[in-house]
Amino acid sequence: MSGYRLSTGGRIDRSRPLAFSFDGQGYQGFAGDSLASALVASGVTLFGRSFKYHRPRGLVGMGPEEPNALVSVDRGPARITPNLRAPQVALHEGLMAKSQNRWPSLKFDVAALNDVFGALFPAGFYNKTFMWPRSAWEHLYEPVIRQLAGLGDSPVARDPDHYDATYAHCDVLVVGGGMAGIAAALDAAAQGGRVFLIDEQDELGGGALSDLAQWADLNALKDRLAAAANVTVLTRTVAFGYYHQNFIGATQYLTDHLAPAQADGPRERLWRIRAGEVVLAQGAIERPLVFHGNDVPGVMLASAGRTLALRYGVAVGQAVVVMAAHDSGWRDALALAQAGVTVAAIIDVRGVVSADLADAARIAGIAVHIGSAITAVHGRHAVKGVTFAAGGTGRGARLACDAVLMAGGWTPSVHLWSHAKGSLVWNDAWGAYLPGTAIENCRAVGACAGAWDMGTGAITAVLPNRRDVRAQKAFVDFQNDVKARDIHLAVQEGMRSIEHIKRYTTNGMATDQGKTSNLNGLQIASAALGRPVAEIGLTTFRPPYSPQTFGALMGHHKDALFQPVRKSPIDDWAREQRAVFENVSNWRRARYFPVGGEDMEAAVLRECAAVRNAVGMFDASTLGKIEVVGPDAAEFLNRMYTNPWKGLAPGRCRYGLLLREDGFIMDDGVSARMADDRFHLTTTTGGAARVLGMMEDYLQTEWADLDVWLTSTTEQWAVIAVQGPRARDVIAPLVSGIDLSAEAFPHMAVREGTIAGVPTRLFRVSFTGELGFEINVPASAGRAVWEAIHTAGHAFGIVPYGTETMHVLRAEKGFIIVGQDTDGTMTPFDMGLDWAVGKKKPDFVGKRSLARPDMSAPGRKQFIGLLTEDAQELLEEGAQVVADPDLPIPMPMIGHVTSSYRSAALGRTVALAVIADGRARIGQTIFVPMPGKVIRATVTEPMFYDAQGSRLNA
Amino acid sequence: MLEIAPLAVAGIDLTLGTTPVSGTVYGHSVTLSPAAPMVRWSLRAKDAGVLSAAIGRALPDAIGTHHDGIARLGPDEWYALLPEGSTLPVVAGQPLSQVEVTARAVGLTLTGPGAAAALGRGCPLDLARLTPGRATRTVFETVEIQIWALAPETFHVEVWRSFAPWLWHALAEAIV
Amino acid sequence: MILIHCPYCEEDRPEVEFTYGGEAHIARPADPAALNDREWETYLYIRRNPRGPHAERWRHAHGCARFFNAVRDTVTDRFEVTYKTGEARPGDAK
Repeated sequence: MSGYRLSTGGRIDRSRPLAFSFDGQGYQGFAGDSLASALVASGVTLFGRSFKYHRPRGLVGMGPEEPNALVSVDRGPARITPNLRAPQVALHEGLMAKSQNRWPSLKFDVAALNDVFGALFPAGFYNKTFMWPRSAWEHLYEPVIRQLAGLGDSPVARDPDHYDATYAHCDVLVVGGGMAGIAAALDAAAQGGRVFLIDEQDELGGGALSDLAQWADLNALKDRLAAAANVTVLTRTVAFGYYHQNFIGATQYLTDHLAPAQADGPRERLWRIRAGEVVLAQGAIERPLVFHGNDVPGVMLASAGRTLALRYGVAVGQAVVVMAAHDSGWRDALALAQAGVTVAAIIDVRGVVSADLADAARIAGIAVHIGSAITAVHGRHAVKGVTFAAGGTGRGARLACDAVLMAGGWTPSVHLWSHAKGSLVWNDAWGAYLPGTAIENCRAVGACAGAWDMGTGAITAVLPNRRDVRAQKAFVDFQNDVKARDIHLAVQEGMRSIEHIKRYTTNGMATDQGKTSNLNGLQIASAALGRPVAEIGLTTFRPPYSPQTFGALMGHHKDALFQPVRKSPIDDWAREQRAVFENVSNWRRARYFPVGGEDMEAAVLRECAAVRNAVGMFDASTLGKIEVVGPDAAEFLNRMYTNPWKGLAPGRCRYGLLLREDGFIMDDGVSARMADDRFHLTTTTGGAARVLGMMEDYLQTEWADLDVWLTSTTEQWAVIAVQGPRARDVIAPLVSGIDLSAEAFPHMAVREGTIAGVPTRLFRVSFTGELGFEINVPASAGRAVWEAIHTAGHAFGIVPYGTETMHVLRAEKGFIIVGQDTDGTMTPFDMGLDWAVGKKKPDFVGKRSLARPDMSAPGRKQFIGLLTEDAQELLEEGAQVVADPDLPIPMPMIGHVTSSYRSAALGRTVALAVIADGRARIGQTIFVPMPGKVIRATVTEPMFYDAQGSRLNA
Repeated sequence: MLEIAPLAVAGIDLTLGTTPVSGTVYGHSVTLSPAAPMVRWSLRAKDAGVLSAAIGRALPDAIGTHHDGIARLGPDEWYALLPEGSTLPVVAGQPLSQVEVTARAVGLTLTGPGAAAALGRGCPLDLARLTPGRATRTVFETVEIQIWALAPETFHVEVWRSFAPWLWHALAEAIV
Repeated sequence: MILIHCPYCEEDRPEVEFTYGGEAHIARPADPAALNDREWETYLYIRRNPRGPHAERWRHAHGCARFFNAVRDTVTDRFEVTYKTGEARPGDAK
């Protein structure tokens, strides 16, 4: 039995007992306890196993610095959170926590054999050992390492919680709700601005919560805060990152402190705070001392012992020994004694301590050993005693105890200060870095600025010991099992930079990011290198300050709100018809409309046949649309597109091909001239925003003299394509104000009128090769017009078709899809689109690049058709094409299949491909090697149906 | 194995709300409601005078402000948000652009002491400084919106039609 | 997230409203056909990659939608100045 509950004291509520479990064993604590305090009160010393050697470990600190007591909290199979620090887990009724990194149990852990063979695992072991042979990585090293690696287990089911996120703005943001932070917040509040005060604990007060003498003051300050209307106080909130221009990321924990049944609403909230001024009051973290046996469970920071006693009413042991290098250890010992904890001795490595402290200890009846050091700790799963010696060198004396408190001095928490690139200055009195000059509008106050009376201390990390450091189990980084000797070894092996030493030893790389180990590691490296600490530098502090959940970072973007899924105005109708959808860009589009039990192949064959033989209708609303208006509209388009636009008469349409300045195809679409100074452009669905952005770029930055403006109208218009030999018959009864005859309204023309009583821009265009119309109506009327056409088409056998059928029909005609048949390296010539390039135009975007010799060099991939010798063999899109399949692997690949479908019209499969010198290969046989077979295909013109175009001109 | 839902399923059933949602956001009361149908125009010109004369209406001077149903969004860009049934004369051949975009967007209204907090969950602007008379394009998370500050604690939000269901639910989610 | 001063809106606005547009002050040649391949290559692809102040294009895409220019320090990610399209880089000899 070591720890126990004191009969009085602390901020817990002894009238509210809470039952909880740890590793399946039931315990009891009180409201106001943390998991750590409740376990210590129950006599638990063993909290976890270390990462590398699987050594038994106990509690070290009572805050975010805790390296050992990492637990998984189980709130149900989908709500297991690993790697929580036991001192930061608030106790609630029914809490279920488990230790980590042990198998099969915490007390008996198989991998602890690593510890027995510890000499085999020195610093850099992994770097050195797993070098060769290369094949061993795959079969031996990696599987074994993966088996043993990692801390904790992830939940196996989908996270059922939701998470909130918000922005916030304030004049002053104070990080840290200790006395200094509260004072700063009250000062700022008095100036009248908006003030935020955030603190990671469930109660404001910081260190004052563990100091009875400050409780009255603390309560008074809290009352003043509560009365200040302009102060927002966020507790249980961790400021994890400090970014440019006073932008702070913080996570507020909303429900984890509650029993699952009581948890309602979002689990966490991400605060994205922009502050005029940031005041950092993060306090300081106590440093352990490095000595043989300093990782035996029961050896912890003096501040942890104090917090346990004064905040939680828990004694860390029946007989406590304090190992001090700093005055604060004496103060803590005295506070413990006053709280009723038996302090057996204070051992101080310093030769001299202040008379006040020595007198006070004597009065309190505490034995004092000045100029001495612990040279060994006895016990494996719990402290049973220590051996200490004067100067650390003699044979020493043995002292029975069940807890050892380390007081190695204090490290101001400069994490956020450093995130913000504030400079750090070495301070000899603190033996630590303090904030120097800020870059942001930021200041540090209280202990994190060095402005706190912690007393004085010796700047020492490693206690003297007659044994060689290489023979000691003296730990620097508890979680990563870095010993003082590992740092010596790193230096011995040539590491000079602290960044290299860190990575070679993994010191400071654990989930606690070196909160207790960085400074000690630095001092040991300094000694080993024989250079002052200040010359060695400091490793970089990076966000996050402590581990954060992905859920918090995702915020709103989860489940149904993961990302906006854009839907056309006709989407609801398609859903009611049980269409199968696919995502195109961030749109959801109907892919096909199965009837009965049809699969996709059957549905698409039926839809294709209907369009070729009768009529089909297709929702093309997602096409990008841009209204180009102004006196210079035609001039602008003439400069952008490859083909000429100035001569296009109002009422006519033209296929436009858009290149990037490097000459490669960027987008295409049919556009119409509505009036002299007004064009209706269309772009691909996925290219809409990109094309508008590119056009704005040229317009604003190159040709600002032109009087023309671009307006996105993608969402203004619903677009209904009616395609097939009966298309005119279907819409004729619905259209007024437009002569639909072939003479009055030829292919590639546009007219304005009404359809089903709704104003329309009616295009006569075809992406199917059939007689076709694309009916633009305001999106709000899209569904009504669609249904009117569907009803009117019934007599003609109209079928709705989806994107898959659209793809097949256009492929039969050899119409390209930018981004499917092209890949960002294709020119108009490569794609057989020479006809769309204005030969007489002096300039257009991309023209100069087309004149580069490489752009017309032999060997370029060219767009062609492929017909497999077996007419029912369907090529795979993306499959590689070779000229000679008998060459040894890797054989030269000459291109790839870009589109491949079953054609209802042809009763066979058709494919499109880009292959080197493709046009010269027309008529030749090429080969497509696939697993288990080689498919033979003939190269053809990329046109399989109605090459003369008689159907679309009908 | 953790099952990842196909992307196509995400957001599948989100539909734009048709009735107001009232409650509190972070303790402040707020009502989210669909705005009344409006007429919308995108109006562009380098010379505000030419545009003003063409449409017969005054235009707000400062970028980021609105007046009489017209907001100035940029140096050559205005946006008219007028009661249903309103008309604007359309001119041809002048150095300006008029494009009716009534169907392109829908409007949402947030009113109440929690209106700014509701919007501030996803909009990075300091909305306390977006005082009545201000109007600007901005974003709510990844979605482009316009915010018009109509009155104290009353914002009109313009959002393109296909993003509106997501935005509605993203806003409504926090109203409890 | 940084704040960027939009020279048109005359306000500091959050980074997420902006898009990046590459190096500034590279004008498209008035007559591209007059350039030889090397010169055209230089216009298309060759960019400075300085450590320190860099003149670059930004667009207030989700605000006033205007392109503008900025001098940003690539080491500190700080914007030294922003200015309208067409204006000379501040401090440059006219």
